Amino acid sequence: MATQIPDDDPITSKSYALPYLIASVVLIGTLLWALWDENYAQRPWKAYQDEFVHRYSAFLKTAVSQSGKDQDRLKNSAEYKQLEADYNAAVATGDAQVKQIKKEAAEVDAHLAAVQAVFTDAKARMGADTYSVETGTFDQDNGRVDEKEHVKQVSDLNQDKQKPNYEVDYPGEKGKKYSYVQLEEKYNELRLEKADYVTRLAAAMKPQNEAKAKMDQYVTDRLTSLAPAQIQGIQQKYESWYPQIRQVNVLDTTGPIPGSLIVDRCESCHMGTREPLTLTAAAMTPSGQKPDQYSRAFVSHPSPELLQIHDPERFGCSPCHNGNGRATTSMEKAHGEYEHWLWPLYHTDRKRGNSGNIEAGCQTCHASDMFLATNSGVGATINEGKYMFQLRGCMGCHRYEGYDREPEELTAATQTIRQLEADIKDNTHQIEILRKKADDPNISNQEAEHYNQLAEALLITNSKNAGQIETLDLRSRSLLRDVKKIGPNLKEIRAKLNKNWIPVWIHKPTDFRPSTRMPNFRLNDDQVRSIAAYLWQTAIPDQVQHAPAGNAEHGRDLFMARGCMACHSVGEGSQMVGGPYANLTRVGEKVSYDYLVRWIKNPRQRLRPYCPYEKKDIGPEDYAKKGLAYVFDADHSKCPNDGHELQWQQTTIMPILRLSDQDAADIATFLMTEKTKDPASYADASFMDDPKLKETGKTWIRQFGCAGCHEISGFEDEGRIGTELTVEGSKPIERLDFALLTIPAQRGVEPFKDPGLKQLDASITDSNIILSRLPEGPAAGDWYTLKGFFEHKLAMPNIYDKGKIKGDMEKLRMPDPHLNPEQIRALVTFLLGSQETSLPDQYQYKPQDYRHDIQEGWWVVQKYGCMNCHQFTPGQKTVLMDLPQYKDSPEKLPPKLLTEGARVDPDWLLKFLNDPSLTGGKADNNRNGVRPYLDVRMPTFNLSPEELRKLVRFFQAMSRQPMPYIPQKPDVLTAKEVEMGRSLFSSQAAPCLKCHATGDAAHDKTATAPNFLLAKERLKPGWAERWIIDPQSISPGTAMPSGLFRDEKLPPVPPNTEPRDHWVFNGPLPPSFAGYTDDQTKLLVRYIFQLTPEEQRAVSSRMPKAAPAAGAKSSAVKRQAAGSSGAR
Amino acid sequence: MKHANGRVMFSRMLALMALMALALLVSCSKNKGTNEESNAAETKATPVDKSQVGTVEGTVNFTGTKPTPKKIDMSQDPVCAKKGENTVETVMGNAQGLQNVFVYVKDGFNGTADAPTTSVTIDQEGCRYHPHVLGVMAGQTIQIKNDDNTTHNIHPTPAADSGNREWNESQGPGAPPLEKSFGRPEVMLPVKCNQHPWMKMYINVAKNPYFAVTDADGKFNIKDLPPGDYTLAAVHESMGEQTQKVHLDPKGAQTVTFTFGGAGSSGGK
Repeated sequence: MATQIPDDDPITSKSYALPYLIASVVLIGTLLWALWDENYAQRPWKAYQDEFVHRYSAFLKTAVSQSGKDQDRLKNSAEYKQLEADYNAAVATGDAQVKQIKKEAAEVDAHLAAVQAVFTDAKARMGADTYSVETGTFDQDNGRVDEKEHVKQVSDLNQDKQKPNYEVDYPGEKGKKYSYVQLEEKYNELRLEKADYVTRLAAAMKPQNEAKAKMDQYVTDRLTSLAPAQIQGIQQKYESWYPQIRQVNVLDTTGPIPGSLIVDRCESCHMGTREPLTLTAAAMTPSGQKPDQYSRAFVSHPSPELLQIHDPERFGCSPCHNGNGRATTSMEKAHGEYEHWLWPLYHTDRKRGNSGNIEAGCQTCHASDMFLATNSGVGATINEGKYMFQLRGCMGCHRYEGYDREPEELTAATQTIRQLEADIKDNTHQIEILRKKADDPNISNQEAEHYNQLAEALLITNSKNAGQIETLDLRSRSLLRDVKKIGPNLKEIRAKLNKNWIPVWIHKPTDFRPSTRMPNFRLNDDQVRSIAAYLWQTAIPDQVQHAPAGNAEHGRDLFMARGCMACHSVGEGSQMVGGPYANLTRVGEKVSYDYLVRWIKNPRQRLRPYCPYEKKDIGPEDYAKKGLAYVFDADHSKCPNDGHELQWQQTTIMPILRLSDQDAADIATFLMTEKTKDPASYADASFMDDPKLKETGKTWIRQFGCAGCHEISGFEDEGRIGTELTVEGSKPIERLDFALLTIPAQRGVEPFKDPGLKQLDASITDSNIILSRLPEGPAAGDWYTLKGFFEHKLAMPNIYDKGKIKGDMEKLRMPDPHLNPEQIRALVTFLLGSQETSLPDQYQYKPQDYRHDIQEGWWVVQKYGCMNCHQFTPGQKTVLMDLPQYKDSPEKLPPKLLTEGARVDPDWLLKFLNDPSLTGGKADNNRNGVRPYLDVRMPTFNLSPEELRKLVRFFQAMSRQPMPYIPQKPDVLTAKEVEMGRSLFSSQAAPCLKCHATGDAAHDKTATAPNFLLAKERLKPGWAERWIIDPQSISPGTAMPSGLFRDEKLPPVPPNTEPRDHWVFNGPLPPSFAGYTDDQTKLLVRYIFQLTPEEQRAVSSRMPKAAPAAGAKSSAVKRQAAGSSGAR
Repeated sequence: MKHANGRVMFSRMLALMALMALALLVSCSKNKGTNEESNAAETKATPVDKSQVGTVEGTVNFTGTKPTPKKIDMSQDPVCAKKGENTVETVMGNAQGLQNVFVYVKDGFNGTADAPTTSVTIDQEGCRYHPHVLGVMAGQTIQIKNDDNTTHNIHPTPAADSGNREWNESQGPGAPPLEKSFGRPEVMLPVKCNQHPWMKMYINVAKNPYFAVTDADGKFNIKDLPPGDYTLAAVHESMGEQTQKVHLDPKGAQTVTFTFGGAGSSGGK
């Protein structure tokens, strides 16, 4: 039955074409959008990957052909041909034997296979039978073994083992019958045979395998790049490359919540980073084009050695480089350069060709390090930043974890002492109670004993505490000694300075001395006058002893020769030469001669010691009251009034040069000539005596935090006035006060271009000077970033007062440190890296092993400027090295300390650092202890025990030497060996005493090396031997030549395969050496370590002498010549 | 699926393009290579093509009074003191001529030249170096002999930025000659002996074979120089370097005069 369809039935009559069309258009549109999004919009890295694969493949093709050519060239070399011939010979020789063994082996293998097939089965069955015997005779009902039945079954089983139940089908012999026991025997026998032929085969193959290895090694050793086969492997990998995210995902295994610590997808675009071939931007540029953004993105990591110690699989990329490692949708996002990401990528400054701020990343984990030593020179900027922070006295106002920690540690030590003292008191009380309990007649002996034991334990605890208190006391003494201030002690200005010069200096230090480290405080006249008045009126009124005038000419020579310029500079601007501390160009205008002489003689000598407990400068009157002599030094460091430890020395790092009174006066006389105008020509400044100015002055001194760098009466306990900067780089941008410059900064307006800068600092004559301080030039865009803030702040600290109307007390206080762009870049790098990281503690570089000693040592090394004179790491520049007086005579420079820890006995080093004159505290210490022939002087630093310990440990750790060091006693020389040693020691081909000092003044005039008599106590014998073999590899450029000994290789002693070293003197030998098989270097070292003064004198007297005595000694020369020719 | 095929196609095309680019690259570099080879061949051919090469010769003069050579104290080693006069090695030469000036083609020669296979010799005799100023090509072997009955050490101290390596080796009496070379060009590279502080000489490492050291009359002669425009430099150990532009025609000969010192000069250090 058919139903009539109505005319207006929507199903049949209405067309859905349009909705379908719309829907399909939408669907297709969505599909296209999805595809587009997938490939381009959301996945920009895909384009990078395509481009990389494209360019890299092209690069690999050239690389493989080049490598092939190199390989062919190597394979055609005579050496390779020889090795190949050796290999072929080895194959030919061993071939018959190898074939024979292989043949036998095949037979054994076949037999073994046949036996094994049956034996495996038999063994399993036997195991099952044994099991059923062991368990089957156990009656579960009564829990006992039916012994009779058990014995019977065991015996059955053993009999069964003897029956020939098993058939083995050998290749040539089918169905050989065995019992189980025989089968097992046969199986074991065959296995032994197999082991035997494996060994024999290895032995037979050994010559040819070794020859083959040598052939391959020859090629790999000499190919500078990868071998063609390796490159082809890479090619294959990229032929079938399908775009994919490449990421480093470091899982958090420490935190309470499982998750990822680091997710870095950087290598999705930067695909070349870890490729085994070195990729440069030029190599990744298609030929004929200029390097573009792709070429630069595809380069290898420029410091692969850094990746070796910071494995990217563990460290990722962003912990060092910053940026948003998870982001993949755009370059801006991935690099973290958008407003919702706090840690934008650190950049190198490509335009100026420097490392920009990229090394900020080091600081994040290496905040505990003062110096980062790398072979490649990476770290120079961050090291400079760390050093500038100290050198320019930033830490005087800003706390930064690690810097200037002595005052804090001093407080901590005092607190711990108090705590321990309280503990001792408690314990003493407890002991009394316990003893009373023990004496109670109502308790048992056992109980009494228990109480006594507890009391005894507490007694011991107390004695331990007492020991700890002693240690802490000593430590406090050390710390008080280690406290240093960056600026001079202003309590002594009355004795030291030209009064009229003081206000001139305070007004603007750079006007007097452009290279001073003291910043400019933008002071007005009233501030200058009142500050000067306070300092003058509160200064110690004592005068110093009058010193007779010296010889300026000689003083100048000494100034050049003794090494003063390692620390001090002379000349200004482009004329400036010397070290980073005070410039002495106009010192003659400001100081009093008498004070200067005293200072040069002993810069640590104070006018008066300071007692931190009493908060008072202690004078002769205090000593007189107690009937004590007015003496204060390391041995007289207690306050006469209350016995507390005194600050008995100046808080300067300047060491004592151990000069004679005359030399000190000569140098001072020379320095007094360093002036450009007459000191008397300074305008009168008698206002400084006006008592009304004093109080105002005090206010301003407090306001500007002068005591951060100087000792000032009444400000001894003044804290730091600035912000702590330890984690300054983590601050959200909103917390940095751009003030009215917020909007201009966001708009990229450069405030230093504003001619109105003068309103902020009246002393600015030319705003271009400020502008030129910016490391990357005037802002070219948005500088509303941490980097922008720091750069502008350091270039002109009060720039953020711009447009504000403030009273003098409200103005920004930070003075102008007048830094150059490089210094600002270094400091900004340091600050940017000063971050609180989200990474767990183990990412912080805080090693507990020898590296901790290295870490601690660098702080001391940098504190005292040791690197101004000494080289600590290869390639490191010293100040002295660049001075003209050493250009032609580098051997006159202080020794390099590259392997100092391996060289010297740490006990000796401690002694030496404490007293570099090695005179044992004698008055006549006007000399170097080890190298008296050097004009440059190793000064006495008055290091505290704490710092001495750190330094000794540092040197030992730098050379991976164990502490404590226990010297090995050298084997005593036989009479014959003494004779032999002496003949080497005085040989004409190695005339040791020609250069080495002997203590004889006439001889030492021309000496250029240390006295051998020091060796025994000072040196480590192993180092001494390495030194005489090749001194150039220990201290490149040293006056001591290499080539005194040669290596006559001896055949290897099995199982070693390498020939042994055998060091033989590289010159004529006396006949006594015939048959001597030990290393002659060792003999010489033993001789030197057992050298006595008498022996040295005897040898020295037989040396050919100077011309005046030539007639008398020529016979000695002849005798020697005859001796050596006889040996030839 | 289609998409994947497209990608395969795309990458094939890429590969093809890369191949073409590579072919282009290879052919380019090949061309370059042949150019270089022909250049090298040209310089190598220069001595053969005697018809083209010319000579630059001349004199280095010194105006002012020549200081009398300083006496030195050799008494610390009697072996040295026995031999001859004790004066410094810095010899100024006869009359107006300035001796021991290293004259070389500093610029203008762009070919490549292999280092000669022959070696040059430094002799230590009488605790003095012979010669005092030496010219050598980069990579050329320097043979160092000791003819004294005493030990010397040979210690070149190249400039820190020169790229040459510092070394210091002992050479006893009768020891076999040392053979050394320097890889990078450097003028007036000082060599000294730490045991005899007065001993000092200078090695000049040149990047091409066109150099000479002035004789006692201040004369020098640079032979077999291909025609071209050159910058000729004369360098003295203490009075520094002077340069002059020289044009050399094929088969040409040029005479150049350098003058050191000057009227007001005290005559060097």
